[in-house]
Amino acid sequence: MFGIYDIFIILPYLLSLLCIIFAAWFGITHWNKDNTNDQSL
Amino acid sequence: MSTFTLSLIVIGYLLLLAYLGFLGYKKTNTSADYLVGGREMNPIVMALSYGATFISASAIVGFGGVSAAFGMGLQWLCLLNMLVGVVIAFILFGARTRQLGAQLNVSTFPQLLGAHYRSRGIRVFIAAVIFIGMPIYAAVVMKGGAVFLQQIFEIDYHIALLIFTLFIAAYVIAGGMKGVMYTDAMQAVIMFACMFFLLFFFYRTIDMGFTEANRALTDIAPLVPEKFREMGHQGWTRMPVTGSPQWFTLVTSLILGVGIGCLAQPQLVVRFMTVKSTKQLNRGVFIGSLFILVTVGVIYHIGPLTNLYFLKSEGAVATAIVKDIDQIIPYFINRAMPEWFSAIFMLCILSAGMSTLSSQFHTMGSAVGSDIYGSYQSPQKPRRNQTSVVRLGILFAILISYVICYMLPNDIIARGTALFMGVCASAFLPAYFCALYWKRATRRGVLLSLWVGTLSSVFVMLFMHEKESAALGLCQALFGRPVLIEAYPFPLIDPIVYSLPLSVAAIVIGSLMGKRKA
Repeated sequence: MFGIYDIFIILPYLLSLLCIIFAAWFGITHWNKDNTNDQSL
Repeated sequence: MSTFTLSLIVIGYLLLLAYLGFLGYKKTNTSADYLVGGREMNPIVMALSYGATFISASAIVGFGGVSAAFGMGLQWLCLLNMLVGVVIAFILFGARTRQLGAQLNVSTFPQLLGAHYRSRGIRVFIAAVIFIGMPIYAAVVMKGGAVFLQQIFEIDYHIALLIFTLFIAAYVIAGGMKGVMYTDAMQAVIMFACMFFLLFFFYRTIDMGFTEANRALTDIAPLVPEKFREMGHQGWTRMPVTGSPQWFTLVTSLILGVGIGCLAQPQLVVRFMTVKSTKQLNRGVFIGSLFILVTVGVIYHIGPLTNLYFLKSEGAVATAIVKDIDQIIPYFINRAMPEWFSAIFMLCILSAGMSTLSSQFHTMGSAVGSDIYGSYQSPQKPRRNQTSVVRLGILFAILISYVICYMLPNDIIARGTALFMGVCASAFLPAYFCALYWKRATRRGVLLSLWVGTLSSVFVMLFMHEKESAALGLCQALFGRPVLIEAYPFPLIDPIVYSLPLSVAAIVIGSLMGKRKA
C-alpha cells in the first residue's frame, strides 16, 4: 500500500490519520461542552 | 542568502519576540497571571504553546536524523505524540487537571499534587526533582541555540550563549506565563508553516509522488549500511527485526520513553491550568494534534526519504554521506532546499529551541520561587511579593543552567535530558494519574511512589542502561564495566520499562497498606 509493504509501518500512518479525524470530530462535537460539575475529583 | 540579510531576519524575529514578551508584561498584574496566565488564555494560544513546548529542536533535527538512519518506524513516535501527548493528555488528563487546579486554587504542577494530597513534602519533593533535573535538560537546548546564533552571526560561542540566554531571560522574567505563551504561539506558527513548506518542496525536489517515492525507498533496502544491518535494520520502509538492538532502542527508548514520558512533564501539565473551562481544552485538541502531525510527522516522513535525494545527488545513503546523525537534516536542508528556505528553516529550529527553553525557565523558576520557597512563606505575605520571588527563582534557575553549560561535558548533558524525562515519567505519572482518577491513593503511597520512581530511574541510568551509564561512568569506576548486567538485551532496555511499573506498584501497595487517606 502506497509503496510500503510492512503493515507495522503502514499502521502508524493510518492510525495518525484516524487520530487527527477523531481530534477534529471531538473538537467540533465538544466545542461548547463543559464538565464543571464533575464530582469525581 | 547573505549573512546581512539573514541577520536582519533573525533580528526582526527577536524584536517580534521582545514585543510579545512586553505584551505579556503589560497584561500581568497578579501572581496567577504570572504563573498560569490568569487562567484565561485563548485555547488556540494554549494549544500552540503546548505543541511548541512539547516539540524541541532536538525532536526535529535529532529525531529527524534518527529517522533518516533507521527508517519510517519512527512514525510510531509521531502517533504516540499525537495520541498520548495531545488527545489522551487533553481529554483524559487536561480536563480534570484544569478543574482540580481551579478547585484547589493552585498554579503549578507541584502545588497541584501537594494540595490534592495535602502534603508539603510531596510538593517540595516534586519541585526539588524539577529544580535539580531540569537545568541539565535546559542546558542542552541553550547550547543548541547558542551554536545556531554563533553560526548565523559568525560570533564567538560564549557571546552567542550570553545573548541567547539574556534574551529569553528578559521575556520570561518580565512577561511570565503570558509572555511565554504568546511567544510560544508565534514560534509554533513558524514551525508549522516551515514544516508544511518542507513537505511541498521535498516532493518537488525529488520529482516523485508519494507512492513512487515510498516504492523507490523500499527498493533501495539492500543499500542499508552493514553496521545498521547487524543491528536489525531491514530497510527504511520496514520495522527492524523483532528483538534486535535497533528494535529495542526504537520500541523501549523512543516509543515508550518519549511517547509515554510526555504525560507527566510539569511544563506541559501547567498549560491545562491556563484556560478558563474544559470546553477551551476541547477546542485545543484538534489544533494540538494537527501541530504535532505536521511538525514531527513531516520530518519523520521526510527523514528516511532524504536517502533517495542523497543517493541521486551524491551516490550514497544519508548515513554514508553525513556521519553525525544530528547533522543529516541541516545538511539536507542546505543542499536540497532553496537558499531562502534554509534561512527560514533555521528560524524554525531557533523557534523550537526557544519555545522549549522559555517554558523550562518558567517551570524551574516557579518550582524554586513558588513551590519550595513559597511553601515555607507566610500566607499573609502580599501576592505581589510572591511574583517577585518567582521572578528571582527564574533568574536563579537561568544562572544555574548557564553555569551547567560550562561545567558539564557534552555527553553527560545530552544524557541529562533522558534522565530528567525518565524521572518525570516514572516518578510523577502514577501520582498524577491517581490524583485525577484513584481516590484511594494516600500520602504514604504517593511519597513511596515518588521515591521509588526517582531512585529506580536514576539507578537504572547509572548502572544498567548503557547509553547513560557509559557516559556517566560511575558503574565503570565502581565495578570495572559499563553496565551491571551485560547480557543482551538488558543494556538496551529504557529505564522507564523498569521504573514505571515499580512506581505504579509502590503507589498501589503503599496506599492499600496505609491507613490515612489523602
